[in-house]
Amino acid sequence: MDIVTLGGNLLGTIPLGDIVLYLTPFNLFLFAVLLGFTALIAFSKPETQIEAAKFNTLGVAEVKVDEKEFKQRRFLSVICGIASAGAMITGDLFNFTLFMALVGILNIGIVSAVKQTSVLNSAFNYGLIAMMCSLPLFGGAAIILAATGTLSLSVLSQMSASPMVVFGAILMLIGILGESGVAPFFASKAEMFRTPGSPFIVIIHLSSLFIIVRAVEILLLVLW
Amino acid sequence: MMYVPQAFISMYLPAIYAGLIVGFIATMAIAIKREELHILILTDLVGLAMIFVVSAVGTDLAEALILPGLVVELAETLAISEILITREMRKIEQDPRANLKTSSSMFPQAFSLDMEIMTTAPNFIALVLIGYGIFLTGFTGGAVAGGGIVLYALSKKARGLPVLILDGVAGVSGIAWCLWIIGFLLFFVTPQYWLLALFLAACGLLLKVASKVGLIGLLMREDIDKE
Repeated sequence: MDIVTLGGNLLGTIPLGDIVLYLTPFNLFLFAVLLGFTALIAFSKPETQIEAAKFNTLGVAEVKVDEKEFKQRRFLSVICGIASAGAMITGDLFNFTLFMALVGILNIGIVSAVKQTSVLNSAFNYGLIAMMCSLPLFGGAAIILAATGTLSLSVLSQMSASPMVVFGAILMLIGILGESGVAPFFASKAEMFRTPGSPFIVIIHLSSLFIIVRAVEILLLVLW
Repeated sequence: MMYVPQAFISMYLPAIYAGLIVGFIATMAIAIKREELHILILTDLVGLAMIFVVSAVGTDLAEALILPGLVVELAETLAISEILITREMRKIEQDPRANLKTSSSMFPQAFSLDMEIMTTAPNFIALVLIGYGIFLTGFTGGAVAGGGIVLYALSKKARGLPVLILDGVAGVSGIAWCLWIIGFLLFFVTPQYWLLALFLAACGLLLKVASKVGLIGLLMREDIDKE
């Protein structure tokens, strides 16, 4: 499918040698929203939670985030926001998969220091799924490269899809689903939010949401 | 396409099949195994299958894709193992008695071997490896010599390595770095001394890799012996 059909008017291209970035209102909107949200969480303070299980007892029911953990978490979520913003604007298939894998690692990193073992458990499971899905993700991109000889999305969108490209795109779809933890794999990732430090935890959700939107665009570009 | 021999092109599909089959076997193994550490190690196997599929493309562009793929794979493994360690630490924090379980040994009986060859052979093998590494020079030589140093470090049971040795190894590494840089510069500034530059770079690389691998071995032993 053509870039213009999906993303609106082509506002311009940034040719960086082999990699050509193309700017459409669709990409720019996603990019700007993610950067705005990243700026928002860079200046916000973490929330404090009250554990419902300890509500009618006299024990301390507050779950707080200490200074060191807070700083580490904020840093990782800012990087995560920048990485997903990069995935929004990139014009290169493999860069997209790399940004995606980076977002996956950072998602694990954000919850790596929490005190709840259940959250760590689900982060571990999510990490395993993400690692297993790097095979279809990178493999799919490599198969598309082998079948067409290019990774540039603007060139790929002009080509008609051969069976090998379709196979690569299906592999990539499986990889994207696993790496962002949606649909069949969401069970482990849903538990990862159950920890204090709200604005930073939300980036885990937001990044996978945006990346799915962008992945749909990329797969349509490659396939049609 | 014109300059690529047909033999290489026909290797593409078998390589992809091999990668996918390795990935499939690894995921099957993950489904069967129930211990988390094993699952983590088996997941790395899936990552290796990914390298298979990517490298099957076989162009210089694919080579540029393999490196980030490897780095991502490594980073994910590190992140997940860190998660595993943190979780076990939290579990022990919550229930300190869980740590006191008796650990099982690999061997069915008490294992003690007292043979002279166990103490003398490693020294000799390490010496041969280091000598051969110096003879090879370059990256390969560094790896071989480093393997010798690792073997020596692992076979010696003495605990508590003095800081001086660690510092010394690190210093050698720095000097090797300088040699390599100087060799590299000479290539550009005075190309007629290429042989000297080549030897400088090769020896620098040898020392560099050997000291790196050696350091890994030394640090590893420090970690293992910490009980």
